[in-house]
Amino acid sequence: MKKLYTIPAAFLASSLFLTGCAGFQTGNSNDSSTENEDGKVVLDFWTFWGSEIRRPVIEKIISDFNESQDEIEVQHTYLPWGDIWTKELAAIAAGDPPDVVINDINTTALRGEQNQAMNLAEFLSEDDISGQFYPELWDATLYEGDSYGIPFNTDTRVLFYNKDAFEEAGLDPEQPPTTWTELEEYAAKLDVKNGDDYERIGFYPLWGINYDVWMLNANGHNFINEENEVLIDTETNLETLEWLKGWKDKYGDDVINSYKAQIDSQQGNPFFNGSLGMYVSAPTFYTQIRDYADDLNFGVAKLPEMEPGNGHTSWGGGFVAEIPAGAANPEASYEFIKYLTGAEAQEYWAVQNFDNVANIEAAENAAQSDEFTEDGTMVYSMATEYMSDTLLTPVPVSAPDFMGSVNPKIDEVFLGSKTPKQALEEAQADVESLVEKNTGE
Amino acid sequence: MAKPKSTMRRKETMYGYIFVMPWIIGFLAFTAGPLLFSLFASFTNYNITSQMDFVGAENYQGLFTEDGLFWTSLWNTLYYVLFSVPLTTMGAIFLSALLNQDVPGIRVFRTLYYLPAVLSGVGVYLLWMQLLDPGTGMINLILGWVGIDGPNWLFDPAWTKPSLIFMKLWSVGGAMLLYLASMQGVSKTLYEAAAIDGANTFRQFFHITLPMITPVIFFDVVTSLIGGFQIFQEAYVMSSNGEGGPANSLLFYNLYMWRQAFENFNMGYAMAMSWILFIIVFILTMINLKLAPRWVHYEGGDNR
Repeated sequence: MKKLYTIPAAFLASSLFLTGCAGFQTGNSNDSSTENEDGKVVLDFWTFWGSEIRRPVIEKIISDFNESQDEIEVQHTYLPWGDIWTKELAAIAAGDPPDVVINDINTTALRGEQNQAMNLAEFLSEDDISGQFYPELWDATLYEGDSYGIPFNTDTRVLFYNKDAFEEAGLDPEQPPTTWTELEEYAAKLDVKNGDDYERIGFYPLWGINYDVWMLNANGHNFINEENEVLIDTETNLETLEWLKGWKDKYGDDVINSYKAQIDSQQGNPFFNGSLGMYVSAPTFYTQIRDYADDLNFGVAKLPEMEPGNGHTSWGGGFVAEIPAGAANPEASYEFIKYLTGAEAQEYWAVQNFDNVANIEAAENAAQSDEFTEDGTMVYSMATEYMSDTLLTPVPVSAPDFMGSVNPKIDEVFLGSKTPKQALEEAQADVESLVEKNTGE
Repeated sequence: MAKPKSTMRRKETMYGYIFVMPWIIGFLAFTAGPLLFSLFASFTNYNITSQMDFVGAENYQGLFTEDGLFWTSLWNTLYYVLFSVPLTTMGAIFLSALLNQDVPGIRVFRTLYYLPAVLSGVGVYLLWMQLLDPGTGMINLILGWVGIDGPNWLFDPAWTKPSLIFMKLWSVGGAMLLYLASMQGVSKTLYEAAAIDGANTFRQFFHITLPMITPVIFFDVVTSLIGGFQIFQEAYVMSSNGEGGPANSLLFYNLYMWRQAFENFNMGYAMAMSWILFIIVFILTMINLKLAPRWVHYEGGDNR
């Protein structure tokens, strides 16, 4: 009979022991990682750059930084894209966050408002580095005038076009379309139809980018402005949406869907084999052309403007390096961020990854880099110049997920169940009430 | 006589508690605490990092009266549960009835039909996104061979949820295994007796097999109902940007809750949502439990 007790007792004891351990651990881990045996401050740096291309580049930058001084030792932690920010949030809530983290530039202000990221004003007042970065990027990091993250990299959207196809269609390969009307004309000339099937499509505006980029291109401002005014149901947006719907009707669902599938498959992008004449994408699309269609004779251009004089506004995103609230050594973290966003590291990143960087000097140096091919230099320098026309869409603090109320309405336009007018009116009303709910009492 | 019996009983009770102790401790430490915290925080404007002020029932009131997306997501989830639970249950029973036959090579078939249940997660969803692709996917290709112009599946709001249910039906192998095990446990003598009385295969199935496996059906219905309400990944992976499109047709309850919690950082609001879901699932499960004695047949006695 006695023996029977031992098993459950052992179970009980071990489970108590295990839960006990878990209870004690949390308090200690904070101190253990801040200093190593050499007396250096150890920083934990979280990124989502784990690919075989990006990881060596960021790790080289980190080791360069570690060797450049003897106070701080940065350690890189890779976390997958899908996890990194929820894990960061949990770590902040638990009071043991990483020291530096790479995060989305468009939501920086929101994290500032929510006290997830550290206010960098204190560091910046001593050593103002804001002038090193593209103003549009810098502004996106501000909440109530203070910066909560330093811009790291960015991108824009440009028009890639097939020069050979241009020539075939009797167009000048050095004269890409500059207005929406020209875009339509050129696309029509580039179309090659064989019965019901297309052998080549000139252009379709919603591959590569979404309707909101065209609206930004047309009106040059975000859907919600700084005064929390909702600017969705506007004349320009309506015209844009009708224009986009016209393209959809022109080619039809079947053609659009089958091309879309090929574009999504990356290697099979119809732009590579000449069955798509023009395509809008980020400048890094060039690396795909290089890898999958090396012989392609192509050019890059700014997005066409709605009408002459309207402006070639494009859209970009990017990432910032920030210090999570509650990080143990903010001074050291800031030192590292300064290096990370400084000209030297930024240029290395730009050249190795063919990525647009936030540091102006680095971006301009990279554009001259001998490491790029002729095509590479063409795309990169064009993208660098285009930064002045590139706008970001920082999420409004008053309604961070307002696009969740707009997108479904626009979906319905393209599905044919709503008119553009209806959709914009409804989206306007929904977002207005969302903003009101979040700001008013 | 009475005394030793009662000490015996007490001892057994104690053993019982000791054996379930690891679970109880785990529950108290890791589940009950967060559960109560979320109940409390659902009455605040908690945002994880900077605020936690008591706001009364404002979150709940907002959900029911001002938030259209809440209702959309609830409707989408109900639609999914309403179709997926009966269909997958029937599919699994049908499949296991087929695989319960004594034919050569049956083991191979059992393995084949079970295989999809082994695969899981994002890989399967990506596979199905390719299969369901309207232009180049295999499903529309095959439908095309028999003269059907396949729908736009994941791009047409009317077909997105059926697409997911379709995908779920493909992986009924897991439940099938439970049914199969239970069917094999049904005594052969029952079938022999029924055959002598002149019952054909169908009557045998409906009057012997089905009643005998009702405990497993009950278990399957309860768990897949709860699982159905928790659908999240499918929509997160299979809609563009993880937003629940097109036209919000895949905006399931948990996806919307996730968005509120981790994109808007409205954690208190999201916690209120989770409690509403908890109450819905709780009520449905209680109804299930209440109805169970009417149709679930337990062998070996006192109906429990």
